[in-house]
Amino acid sequence: MIRTPVMCIRRLALPVFVAVVVALALGACGYQPPMPSEDGGTVERVRAPAPDQPPAGLQVFPLRNAAVTELTEAAHQAERDGDLDRAAMLLERALRIESRDPEVLQHMAEIKLGQADWSQAESYASRSFDVGPRVGELCQRNWRTMALARERQARHDDAHQARERLQACRVEPPPRF
Amino acid sequence: MRLIVYFILFVLGLLVGLLAPIVWWLDREAGQRFTERQWTQASRVYARPLELYAGLGLGAEDLGVELESAGLQSGNPAQVGYFARNGQRFDIHLPGFAFPEETQPARRILVEISNRQVLSVSQANGSPAGLQRLPPAELGTLMPLDDRDRTLVSLADFPPLLVTGIQAVEDRQFNHHHGIDPRGLIRAAWANMRRGEVVQGGSTITQQLVKNLYLTPDRSLVRKFNEAVMAISLERRFSKADILEAYLNEVYLGQDGATAIHGFGRASEYYFGVPVQGLAPEQIALLIGMVRGASWYHPVRNPTRAGERRERVLSMFLETGLIDRATFEQANRRDLQVRSRQQRRSRNHGEFMDLVSRQLRQDYRDRDLRGTGLRIFTTLDPAAQRHAEQALANGLAKVERNAGELQGAIVLVEPASGEIRALVGDRNPGRFGFNRALDARRSVGSVIKPFVYLLALAQPERFHLMSPLYDGPLSIPIAGREPWQPRNYDGESHGDVPLIEALAMSYNQATVSLGLEVGLPGLFRLLRQLGVEPGSDPHPSAYLGAISLTPMQVAQLYQALAAEGYSTPLRAINQVVDARGQAIGRYPMRMRPVRDHEALALLDFGLRYAVTNGTARSLSWRMRNDPGVRGKTGTTNDRRDAWFVGYTRDWLGVVWTGRDDHAPAGVSGAGSALPVWAELFDALPVREYSRSWPEAIEWFWVDWPSPLLAGEECPEARAMPFTAGSQPSTTSPCMNNSETPRRARGRRQ
Repeated sequence: MIRTPVMCIRRLALPVFVAVVVALALGACGYQPPMPSEDGGTVERVRAPAPDQPPAGLQVFPLRNAAVTELTEAAHQAERDGDLDRAAMLLERALRIESRDPEVLQHMAEIKLGQADWSQAESYASRSFDVGPRVGELCQRNWRTMALARERQARHDDAHQARERLQACRVEPPPRF
Repeated sequence: MRLIVYFILFVLGLLVGLLAPIVWWLDREAGQRFTERQWTQASRVYARPLELYAGLGLGAEDLGVELESAGLQSGNPAQVGYFARNGQRFDIHLPGFAFPEETQPARRILVEISNRQVLSVSQANGSPAGLQRLPPAELGTLMPLDDRDRTLVSLADFPPLLVTGIQAVEDRQFNHHHGIDPRGLIRAAWANMRRGEVVQGGSTITQQLVKNLYLTPDRSLVRKFNEAVMAISLERRFSKADILEAYLNEVYLGQDGATAIHGFGRASEYYFGVPVQGLAPEQIALLIGMVRGASWYHPVRNPTRAGERRERVLSMFLETGLIDRATFEQANRRDLQVRSRQQRRSRNHGEFMDLVSRQLRQDYRDRDLRGTGLRIFTTLDPAAQRHAEQALANGLAKVERNAGELQGAIVLVEPASGEIRALVGDRNPGRFGFNRALDARRSVGSVIKPFVYLLALAQPERFHLMSPLYDGPLSIPIAGREPWQPRNYDGESHGDVPLIEALAMSYNQATVSLGLEVGLPGLFRLLRQLGVEPGSDPHPSAYLGAISLTPMQVAQLYQALAAEGYSTPLRAINQVVDARGQAIGRYPMRMRPVRDHEALALLDFGLRYAVTNGTARSLSWRMRNDPGVRGKTGTTNDRRDAWFVGYTRDWLGVVWTGRDDHAPAGVSGAGSALPVWAELFDALPVREYSRSWPEAIEWFWVDWPSPLLAGEECPEARAMPFTAGSQPSTTSPCMNNSETPRRARGRRQ
């Protein structure tokens, strides 16, 4: 009988991800969270690592389509202006260009949290996880979002599972020689 | 004498007594109706706007189609609304457009294309322009009940030459008179008398407006009297600017079939394909000339007369100092430049408009849709639509036995968002009657089989892709009827075959034996979960697709599969905006993860196998490049219906062909529908498929075709995905006893 760990190193070879950046405990290249929006409390809980848990472990940063970057930056601006509807529309445009961009999908999930649309927040975060690196900071945001969205839908057992799964995002980077 | 005076007084009294109430009534009516007037504006339906950026997959021909669909014309791009193409380079002067969330001003961009990909999008000065949106193509209108087509424009947005020019030609005293212009009237009467015919009308702009708005076109004294009273009344109550704006939006400027074109906004779009702001002096002169008689001076029906009238108007512009002599000379030399009939008639998007109307009617009442100036932003991709229409027309002509015998339909969807990119319901794109894409309920045949396999794969403790299925003669008792004995397409049975092989080769007997394991209620429940009502016939022939669905329903069934396990209802509308630009309806992207992610991934692998090794393997030579297509063929009894459903990373396409009378048509999924699909997908910008496998999927080497684990070095070893823990536990004899079966490295296809 063959037993294998759930997390597979083969993920790292996925051709979608052109750049793999290994960040050590200081997490110098970590995700820069945008300024909180009016109702940013919920979103910030998802985005920011807990104060005692700086971004750790392996981080994966995919190469971005410039048009998608332009739209996501505009979405961040709309979010800072408190216009979540506009942010969602801009992200939809980005997803029409690149429907499998895990960052955009997660960003949309966070906008949906801000709009209290819990089921969509969970769906987008889950999709982001499916097509994303499944390790590192983005993975943690995926599962934090899912945990929070499930909690808000009073699905406490599912939320608990999501928080447990979040721990597996913290894969230590391979040692450098 | 006294009697005469009394009589005169009596007549005068009678006149005043009768006229005063009439005048009072006319005055009140004119004021009230002008205040309460609501312009009916057609509600317009737009395609999705094209997002242009470096790296976009788009051929030069397709960009041309997009530009022309968006109303731009080939010409000098110094002028708004025109583009110039030089090989793979485009110089485009985009007109402004009010998108729902922002107004984009007119701008000039340069686009360079190479090898069906946009290399760069830059500004006129050469610096990168970033992401640019083309104004969306107008697909059609939902006309107001009075059939008046109009694009409302505010006075400030009309070009100054149009505003001053109309006064120079129609009413030079407009700024000074009080509704009627006695001097103008006398001048016109004198001119008419001298020529012995009506050559000048003495009506002021205000009178013309009153006539257009409230009165009949007959030329009687009573009407003239009413017109004068109402004109004075309007002038007394409203500003010159209000009156002029109303006039410019109301004046009749021709006919488009049953639809009347009112106002310069719409006329400019209709005759020249540009917004009114983009009109050149000679175009302004032509339209102003048409005010006198839109039919008499029609630039297409009576081009000579229209040309002479334009020259007359231009010379009036010159003599009143509105244009200089150089402009006059230049404008006068130009051709009429009216768009051809084909360009003027909005391209027929009958089938898609039908779908849009149906989706709108779920949320709005008819009277709220028509004449209210709504702007409806839809999901249609004009270039893809063109390709789909051509693929169906060409494809059917190639495969049918007798010319014109077959009909067909295509539904093309962006799977992740569920947005419908193209819809064809007739092989002749201009003809729109029966919308086969939405309404032709046809037997689906083997296209249903993947869902039987999905139910089985969702039970990993019982089934995996290598599970042996028995493909042999079956006899199924049916209450009150003859037992049912399904046969294979080739009339042969194949014995024990791996599940993936039975799916890819579309074996009927193996599928029915699998179906009996998972049950009909489960299959019908699954179809309902995926958003399709399959009816309630409990006959086991449903396992082989003896249920009737429309092409649209089949697309809905496959959407979740093509979107890697996220289902969303197919939709044609993104947003509805009212006449003031306020969003009144949003149809955002919504997705719902379907259960059994792993089973869907395994099925996806099986449908890839059907293309590389199964019934759809002819795709490899029918397409220039196979970007990793997943697909399933379907052929029904007596070759009446042929289906092919296939998807790539960006597109899901459903093709149906058959005869309208349901007679045997000699068609087959691989021989008739697949070639149409291949022709369409060859023309679309497709990207290489790369999918993510769920975490719980693991890969193992198996000893094909036995359900035994193997090592890579075994001669028949193939890597196969399994839901973790469901893989076979027996090892193949091809391995030495000392060897341990090894897990295959993950594969991406």
